[in-house]
Amino acid sequence: MKILSKNGNELLLLAMKEDSAAKGDYLLIEDRSRSMIVQVYDEEYLSSQALIEDMVKEEVVNASSMENLHDPLNIGSLSRLVRDARIFRAKIRAALTGEGRLTSEVTWLPSRVESKMRRLRMKEIDSFLGRHGIYPIPLGRTGDSEEFEIYAEDLDGKLSIITGKKESGKSHLSKMLVKTLVQHGAFVVVFDLNNEYSGLGYNRDGTPSAISRQVKVLKPGRTLRFSLDYCGKAAVSGMLKNALDMPAASLREFFRIWDWLENKQSLGIEAIGNAVKTWNINELVRDALVSRYHVIQSSRLFTDKDGGFMFESVITKGGSGCAMVINMGELPPTVRKMVVELVLSKLVDLLERGDIPPIFLFAEEAQLYIRETYWEDIITRMRHFGIYTTFVTNQPDAISDSIYRQVDNIFLFNFTNDSDLDKISRVSLADNDTIRSIVRTLPQRHCLAIGRVVCDLPVVVKVAPTEVLTLGETKKFFGSKK
Amino acid sequence: MLINMTTQLSTPFTDSLSLGNLDIVESVSKCLAPKLDGLRGKKIVFSCDDKRMVPVDGWGLRANLYGAATVTTIRPIRENTMVAAIDSSSVKLAETEEGSLYGVKCGIATAYGGRALMHFKIGPVLFYLSESTIQDSELEDRLARLVLLDDDFAKRLIRVRAERAMQKELAGHFSDSIVLVDGSLKASIFEDRDRSMARIAEESVLRRNMVIGISKGTRLKALERAAAPLTKVPGPAYIEVDMIIKSLIRNTVGSNLMVKLGKSSPVLRADVIGDRSGSLGRLLGNDPVAGGYPETLRLAHYISTFSGTEMTCLRSHVLNNYDVTELAADDIRRTLLGSISV
Repeated sequence: MKILSKNGNELLLLAMKEDSAAKGDYLLIEDRSRSMIVQVYDEEYLSSQALIEDMVKEEVVNASSMENLHDPLNIGSLSRLVRDARIFRAKIRAALTGEGRLTSEVTWLPSRVESKMRRLRMKEIDSFLGRHGIYPIPLGRTGDSEEFEIYAEDLDGKLSIITGKKESGKSHLSKMLVKTLVQHGAFVVVFDLNNEYSGLGYNRDGTPSAISRQVKVLKPGRTLRFSLDYCGKAAVSGMLKNALDMPAASLREFFRIWDWLENKQSLGIEAIGNAVKTWNINELVRDALVSRYHVIQSSRLFTDKDGGFMFESVITKGGSGCAMVINMGELPPTVRKMVVELVLSKLVDLLERGDIPPIFLFAEEAQLYIRETYWEDIITRMRHFGIYTTFVTNQPDAISDSIYRQVDNIFLFNFTNDSDLDKISRVSLADNDTIRSIVRTLPQRHCLAIGRVVCDLPVVVKVAPTEVLTLGETKKFFGSKK
Repeated sequence: MLINMTTQLSTPFTDSLSLGNLDIVESVSKCLAPKLDGLRGKKIVFSCDDKRMVPVDGWGLRANLYGAATVTTIRPIRENTMVAAIDSSSVKLAETEEGSLYGVKCGIATAYGGRALMHFKIGPVLFYLSESTIQDSELEDRLARLVLLDDDFAKRLIRVRAERAMQKELAGHFSDSIVLVDGSLKASIFEDRDRSMARIAEESVLRRNMVIGISKGTRLKALERAAAPLTKVPGPAYIEVDMIIKSLIRNTVGSNLMVKLGKSSPVLRADVIGDRSGSLGRLLGNDPVAGGYPETLRLAHYISTFSGTEMTCLRSHVLNNYDVTELAADDIRRTLLGSISV
């Protein structure tokens, strides 16, 4: 490979047939004592008008008559080499200092004649970056079929986004992260929209997985029911206001009832219902309270009996890690919002009081159940309390720019839609050209990891096959008739 | 003060340089008689980038100063006959202190029964012409020196030798076939004795082959005017122009014709060894003619031209195989005249 030209931070590299590099590969350019690291982000043919004309002419000639060639100097094979020559477009990522450390300050230009080029292995890049950790998360393999892992420390206290088009492998990676985090002793709450994370407890052959005992599947209304007393006034208030749109006047009356029942030490869902019916209030307010009460009751999220769910019983300091999968696939949208409001409010309350250690939150298609103003709350306020979120979505435009600006890690799967690519390339941590070119051609289950997990050097990873049971597949009419 | 000094010094000097004092304009205008009055009322075709432009419908009958020539129509003869067209091209690739390196590419395209059959690409082949290598060429001393001094002569030498070699082989190998040549059939100062045009003609006659040389253009204006009646003929036809050509050029071989091979196609010069009507009829019957030019000859031209890629590859081949050292070089014309193309 030879350097052809440089434009800004982009190098054009001439590659012959035997020179191989895939999109995303890192190359080390050595020029005497200096070295530079570049990343290939696009590949195209070496093309000139004359070359195209030659090829067209030859094709036309060969189509009209059979060819017999006598080429004593074998110039034809050289000519074929030229036709197969390619141009690699590469971005300059860093230079190597004398001490073997990376620096983003690249103020020199490598020689076109003297420079030597070779592919960099991930291990070498890691050693240059000093990328290491105690809690590895094996993700899969890089282009060189080299094992690639990130470290749980780089997800800890960070905001991450997993995005890509439908069936590109987002949930697969998400499950892998959840599983490994739990294995490392972390506590993970998953808002599971497709009821697919319950498979984490089982291997593909149906046998219990390594974390089967640590996976707790919570079904709202059945295994996930709270007592009003446990939820507390703040969580219920948040739920009524944000999920059930209760007006302020009605909310005030509701809490008068709440306080009255609490004083009587008879706070319960049944008791609230009875009080609403008999409470001396404006009829319009009563109607508002009754309608909300019926939604709450039909959601079956609250219980008056002992044994309502308590997060502290599962999330314990020094515990062995656990994944709490909240199945929301079959819930109506209002109940989904109620569950999310209650869970997040309660978790914040527990974290504030220091009753539980920090937790990781995985939210699938969060735009469907988290109100817009709540997003920023999650990534700013809740982050300080110790909720470290990973959003999983196939709609990158559902996430606002302000969230992207605070994101620490992005795992990008394939996108072919221009508007999605536009959005991602505008807000992502890597440059526009790299995102557009690499992401557009990523095969299924390949992702471009950007951000802290890769020390800001984008890496293309082929995500390893899942070990756990795949659930959440769409029920099919024709599939069922096989 | 400096400005004033410059003005004072330069005024008489520039006055003495005025064109009026030098009489250059008059000298130039009188170096030849312009005779522009002679243009009046004439039909005109403007030249374009040194390319030869011909009037689409000819110059008109008035232009035929050579009397009424006989127009013979050509009937395609559908008897299966092999047509083999030959073309070549040569390029100068490099120069050393002692000589120059040239490349040649040859193409043979064949047709049979009205369809293209196959084509042969030969080359590129390299030739290094220097004082020591030119001695083997049997060229007389004066011509050899000329070849070494002038690249165009050298390229012509290589092309003529290569083409004659192919023509001789084809003429000696086939029988009852047509050997189609790009250009006129004329003995060249560059051909060697064993592969001369005369020998090729002789061999062709012995093996009942026909040789047709078709020129894309001719420098002889008289031929264009003589061929004017052909533009009025609706189909393929020819006019004999032996008298004109033999009176102007020595060493031509065969019959000299002006032919039109298709409907409303250009008139071309053709030299034929063999029966004129028979040869041209068989050509039309066996070689697809598109736009008034035989397809085999067109194909032979395509496959024998050098492409930019091939030139690059040849350079690479020379650098890698002959232990040469490439020196930095400059386009002297560009250096002297600047980057604006002139």
